[in-house]
Amino acid sequence: METFQLWLMALLTLALFSFMYRDNPIYRIAEHIFAGLTVGYQVGLIWHSIILQQLWTPILDGDWWKIVPGVLGLLMLTRLSGKVSWISRTSLAFVMGTTAGIFLISELHGRVLPQMQDTMLSLSGEDGFATTLLSIIIVVGVLSTLIYFYFSKEHSGVLGVTAQVGIWFIMVAFGAHFGYTVMGRVSLLIGRVQFLIENWIGSFDQLL
Amino acid sequence: MENIDRRWVYLAVAVAVVMPFLFPTPLPIGVTPEAQSLYDAVEALPNGCNVMVVYDYYPSTIAECEPIAIAALHHLFRKDCKVITLSNIPYGGPSMAERVTRMMAEQYGKEYGVDFVNLGYKYGYVAVLSGMGQSIEGIFPTDNSGTPLSELPLMDSVKNYDDISFIFEVADNATADYWVSIVNAQYGVPIGCGGTAVMAPKFYAYVSSGQFVGLLGGMRGAAEYELLINEKGDAVTGMQAQSLVHLLIIALVVLGNIGYFLGRGRRGKGLR
Repeated sequence: METFQLWLMALLTLALFSFMYRDNPIYRIAEHIFAGLTVGYQVGLIWHSIILQQLWTPILDGDWWKIVPGVLGLLMLTRLSGKVSWISRTSLAFVMGTTAGIFLISELHGRVLPQMQDTMLSLSGEDGFATTLLSIIIVVGVLSTLIYFYFSKEHSGVLGVTAQVGIWFIMVAFGAHFGYTVMGRVSLLIGRVQFLIENWIGSFDQLL
Repeated sequence: MENIDRRWVYLAVAVAVVMPFLFPTPLPIGVTPEAQSLYDAVEALPNGCNVMVVYDYYPSTIAECEPIAIAALHHLFRKDCKVITLSNIPYGGPSMAERVTRMMAEQYGKEYGVDFVNLGYKYGYVAVLSGMGQSIEGIFPTDNSGTPLSELPLMDSVKNYDDISFIFEVADNATADYWVSIVNAQYGVPIGCGGTAVMAPKFYAYVSSGQFVGLLGGMRGAAEYELLINEKGDAVTGMQAQSLVHLLIIALVVLGNIGYFLGRGRRGKGLR
């Protein structure tokens, strides 16, 4: 069974790699298997971990109030019919309200304020030349980038020059992101190649 | 040069990836301050404390994230930490947590229910992360295999985040943001993060603000941690191929630019 799994994984990997030569039926088969498996897995997962685990079982155990979210969930299905789709707005309003309520505090205290605080740096020079230089870069970078995204006034004069500086900071950030993205994608390729060489080819001697 | 068939590039990348596996050539790997500070934070934990290891990554990023999880478990089990694992990822998260943690636990002679527990997956990570602040058992009445938490000795001393000394988040997506904004901000639990290279630039902001005690970025971060704990694994091996491919990409970028500028000169003459 383990050997079968290993070969199946290897052959599907090679089938997907075959696209690099050109589009072909073997690649298409592998792609469709992947898409089908994903959908099937998701349906099963939602049924077991949400419908049964968090709704049906608790209701049977006496958690009657869970009928309310259950009904709200069912109301979402009215979107499938044009005439009564307005009913789903009740559920949507509930979702939007709770989401806003939860995230307003957590995002403000957990992300916005700490990140703002981290940008408020001393530029007095008492921390040494290197630290002060880095602090200046951070402060200038944050302010110029924010100004670039300020669209209520035409980007000309001082505002235009600052926005241009902001573009350069954004470009550097994009470069860093892209460099890391390349590294990430190469890592995934290395992972597959490592599997093919060490696990799959490494298992050949067991078959011989 | 501009019209080179892309398949030659694929072939060159394939050769660059395969060669280091056939002819290993160890290359030096430096340790970044972010990796060092994460190592120092784990090292400073009291032996035998309760730690959460969160498997918030999809199977597609195993190559980057699994070496991080393995290195983290090496370090934590060496310190006899009690490990509680969970996942906010529906696709394979709990089973990856089960497989990797059991494999490592076996290596260190750790017993399930006493030294480590896998809580599994529960839908709705915002509610899960918030709810565990009140009661872990309220969110996860049973572990991944359906055993009630009340039957697991380790969980007797772990009721909520107050009983957790450290959280090691291994993530390839935005769930790490919610560990910061919900758990670290509201409950003050120190968090260390190992993420994919794609997510690393975003996570650096959390290191800078002190919300993450340290960061491991992708395969390189995993390799750094493997070196720090003196346990060379897949990441260190993979970094040889990584370096070679990066050199190839740099060469291709240079060649591409040379080709473009030479071609532009020829096109310019043609126009005149």
